[in-house]
Amino acid sequence: MHLSSLSVVLSLQPMKEIQINSHHFTLHPSGAIFWKDKEMLLIADVHLGKVAHFRKHGAPVPANAAFQNLEKLTEISNYFEPKIICFLGDLFHSKLNEEWQDFEKWVEYTKAEVILISGNHDIIPQYLYEDLGVKVYDELLLEGFHLTHHPSEIKGTFNFSGHVHPGIRMRGVGRQYLRFACFYKTLNGLILPAFGNFTGKHVLKPSVNDEVFAIVEGEVICVSKKIQN
Amino acid sequence: MKQSELISVAEDWFQSKNWKSFPFQKNTWKAFLEGKHGLLNAPTGSGKTYALWVPIVLQYLKENPDYKTKHQKGLKAIWITPLRALSVEISQAAQRFADDLETGLTVGIRTGDTPQSERAKQKRQMPDLLITTPESLMLLLASKGYDKIFKNLTAIVVDEWHELLGSKRGVQMELALSRLKTVSPQLRIWGISATIGNLEEAQDVLLGMDSEFRKNAVLIKANQKKKIEVRSIIPKKMETFPWRGHLGLHLLEEIIPIIKASKTTLIFTNTRGQCEVWFQKILEKHPEFAGEIAMHHGSIGKDTRLWVEQAIRNESLTAVVATSSLDLGVDFAPVETVIQIGGPKGVAKFLQRAGRSNHRPGEPSVIYFLPTHALELLEASALKRAVKEEVVEDRMPYLLSFDVLIQYLVTLAVGDGFFPKEIFPAIQKTFCFQGITEEQWKWCLNFITLGSQSLQAYDEYKKVEVTPEGLFKVESRQIAMMHRLSIGTIVSDSMMHVKYVTGGFIGTIEEWFISKLKIGDSFVFAGRTLELVRLRQMQAQVRKSTKKSGKVASFLGGRLPLSSQMSKILREEMQSEADHKRNTPELKALSDIFNRQEKDSIVPGENDFLIETFKTRDGYHALFYPFEGRFVHEAMSSLLAYRISLLSPISFSLAYNDYGFELLSDQYLDIQTVLDNNLFSAEYLYDDLQKSLNSTELARRKFRDIAVISGMVFQGYPNKIIKTKHLQSNSQLLFDVFRDYEPNNLLYLQAYRETFEHQLEEGRLRLALERINSQKIIWKQCEKATPFSFPIITDGLRAKLSSEKLADRIKRMTLQLERN
Repeated sequence: MHLSSLSVVLSLQPMKEIQINSHHFTLHPSGAIFWKDKEMLLIADVHLGKVAHFRKHGAPVPANAAFQNLEKLTEISNYFEPKIICFLGDLFHSKLNEEWQDFEKWVEYTKAEVILISGNHDIIPQYLYEDLGVKVYDELLLEGFHLTHHPSEIKGTFNFSGHVHPGIRMRGVGRQYLRFACFYKTLNGLILPAFGNFTGKHVLKPSVNDEVFAIVEGEVICVSKKIQN
Repeated sequence: MKQSELISVAEDWFQSKNWKSFPFQKNTWKAFLEGKHGLLNAPTGSGKTYALWVPIVLQYLKENPDYKTKHQKGLKAIWITPLRALSVEISQAAQRFADDLETGLTVGIRTGDTPQSERAKQKRQMPDLLITTPESLMLLLASKGYDKIFKNLTAIVVDEWHELLGSKRGVQMELALSRLKTVSPQLRIWGISATIGNLEEAQDVLLGMDSEFRKNAVLIKANQKKKIEVRSIIPKKMETFPWRGHLGLHLLEEIIPIIKASKTTLIFTNTRGQCEVWFQKILEKHPEFAGEIAMHHGSIGKDTRLWVEQAIRNESLTAVVATSSLDLGVDFAPVETVIQIGGPKGVAKFLQRAGRSNHRPGEPSVIYFLPTHALELLEASALKRAVKEEVVEDRMPYLLSFDVLIQYLVTLAVGDGFFPKEIFPAIQKTFCFQGITEEQWKWCLNFITLGSQSLQAYDEYKKVEVTPEGLFKVESRQIAMMHRLSIGTIVSDSMMHVKYVTGGFIGTIEEWFISKLKIGDSFVFAGRTLELVRLRQMQAQVRKSTKKSGKVASFLGGRLPLSSQMSKILREEMQSEADHKRNTPELKALSDIFNRQEKDSIVPGENDFLIETFKTRDGYHALFYPFEGRFVHEAMSSLLAYRISLLSPISFSLAYNDYGFELLSDQYLDIQTVLDNNLFSAEYLYDDLQKSLNSTELARRKFRDIAVISGMVFQGYPNKIIKTKHLQSNSQLLFDVFRDYEPNNLLYLQAYRETFEHQLEEGRLRLALERINSQKIIWKQCEKATPFSFPIITDGLRAKLSSEKLADRIKRMTLQLERN
């Protein structure tokens, strides 16, 4: 897909607006969340470099897939024009490889300030990020919101995290099953779906108080009972 | 020695054993000694091993007149067997003949079970005859200097070729043979096959399409007829006989006298789950059998299976409940009786099972057939005819299996490397790749060297490298090792070992079954009720449960559809019923059901195509009876539903079994419009099928095997699960990435092709549609469900066809979100 056609699709994609502790958030079908009040874009588990890592070891994943991740990043930041882009961990899948250079160019290009909350896959040394002007934190506490890679709990805060790659399994008539990536909201936290396109899902089974927003064909749909509309 | 002298050496040996050679054996000896290739059609237990081993030895005698004093070292013949378990018996038979003739020839076995030290010894000095599997042969091609090993090979014998033919292992064999033809100039290629419908084609696949090579080939048939007697177990009271069901337990008491009356009885079931249940129930109802009956299926630990096999041989068991794991191979002389539970769905399979009993010459093999529901009696009646008229199925060979080709190319690259120019002509001459284009070939080479991308400056893709001389070679030790571990074309589901907490291996079971259990749940497996204690990596640790019953282990697959040959005979049986002949005991027993079917609707004759419609509180039912087997019905029902939905918006729920299918809707469906619009047309079949079925989902499932075979998904080092995690992806993910970024990838496209050719049996569907178009269509508007319709409308396996958008469907699926 070329940039121009992608932007048309993105702007048409229905998003989901939610409120948490009187802050406003937009759930975008790409898997990103736009925090309106802070003009901050939250993105989890891009896993850049994963495609190249596989290819280097003889698994012929299409190289285009890697390229698309950065295109999608560019596109979504153009769309929301955030002040800050915060990656909730696992930005890079592996050691330095060719995809790092593309990432460098992207950081240079983007107008927003870039922050990384470090994840378990982020083994690239911190100073390399800092050379690019990317700040690296283990966690971040911001106006009662706690930003982490692994889901965690601090009393009195609401947690945004990644790591899990949440997915949901839906049952249809006649034993049909469908699986989708989703935003997974519990009472005190929200887990973002993986942004990267070569990442996979981990299927969760929600309990009664959980809210699930599935990404279905470019649309964010609430599939849990609680706040149906 | 002249040929006649050589033959008499063998004849003398037969005489010394008090045997007499069969004409087919002698014909094979002669053909072999004349340097011919061929296919031998002979059943198990007919002396086929000596038909081909004898001339291999005789050829050696001919070339080495002083064989008694001077042993010419080096590999002379390879014997391929699909089952490791068969190798020991073949080796014993072969060694006996070689020793009695004082040839000094040695026989060795090389399979996945062969210890590393033994393999290394073989590498230094190959035995004269090597008994091996297709996978182990491939591994030899992946070793350095393999051409020296095979230089003096005079023969390769592919045993049980019919078993390999219809699978990708067959393709693997074709490719290995194409290479051996080049590196072993004196090679003769021979196959041994049981009777199948397409023997000539089987020979084409084995020997390849090179006409020069084929000139020198023969097809030899053993023509050893075995009498088979089929006896149906007919329930005494038909009224209480269920119209549907698949376990058949209500007839359990009927088989007890049969078991008691014979020395050893084999009870064949169609699935491993059914096997478990029958074993449990027999013991529960008849505790007196404790210790005298056993169970045998593919998931049970190898030691237990071998123990059962040995116990059958030494007559210490009264009965064994088994699945197809006992279909093949080893002869069990003490087996007197065979019982088949449920329709075997194919004639060849039924014959193979019947043949397991009674090996006394002259006496017939007896097989009892136990139907699991009423209409299966019709199948019994059809089976009897099939046996009498010797109808057997075809085995469909695979075409253009690029996944196997890619594996093969990397195998050669791991070994000595290859020059494409040299091996391409040989590949083009195989049956599987006779239609490969230059472009496809280049794509495959590009795939293994550049990961199917055009050359990009910074791409680090590494697998096969090309030397300046143009040799394709794997240089990385890690890639070579990963590839060697992945050679093979049998992709199994992710399996878990089931072990006692105290140690002690019980068997393997599909991961998805275990994943549905909670800790503390009990389940029935390998004839025991077990409690799940904990999961450790790929191990389920269990202890004996005190509970009486539990979930019965269920397994994927196993349910085979009716073969097209069986379908045809079944329709003919129907005709005889429509004519009110009722000339078999089975049809007589079914008379109540048929009378009711006649009253409510009709019993369709051979040239009738029956459609029934009626209304229940579930909605409007429309039933169609092509009698073509479940797979064809699955496709045909989707096709028809799709075509109807083009006429006006409508949603259907679909159901099918081996006899027919149903379209259920909440709207009235006028069959006349279906007929007027010619909706059974075979035109635009492929396009309409693409649109009607969830072909993406079906292809995604096929892609799993393709991804593993072609080396895109690495399944990990044995017992080292963690270390390779950073390289593990699943085929689902890859499938999606290909769909989005590389839709012309040949392996991705192959998944669709296999879906249509092998899963949906597109060819058979087309023939069925053509047949329906030539039949008289009879539409019966019935008051209520008919006997024929009942098993279909109550079937739980339903699919749905709808033209709604996915997102709209999800909105409606909301309520069915799975919760804890």
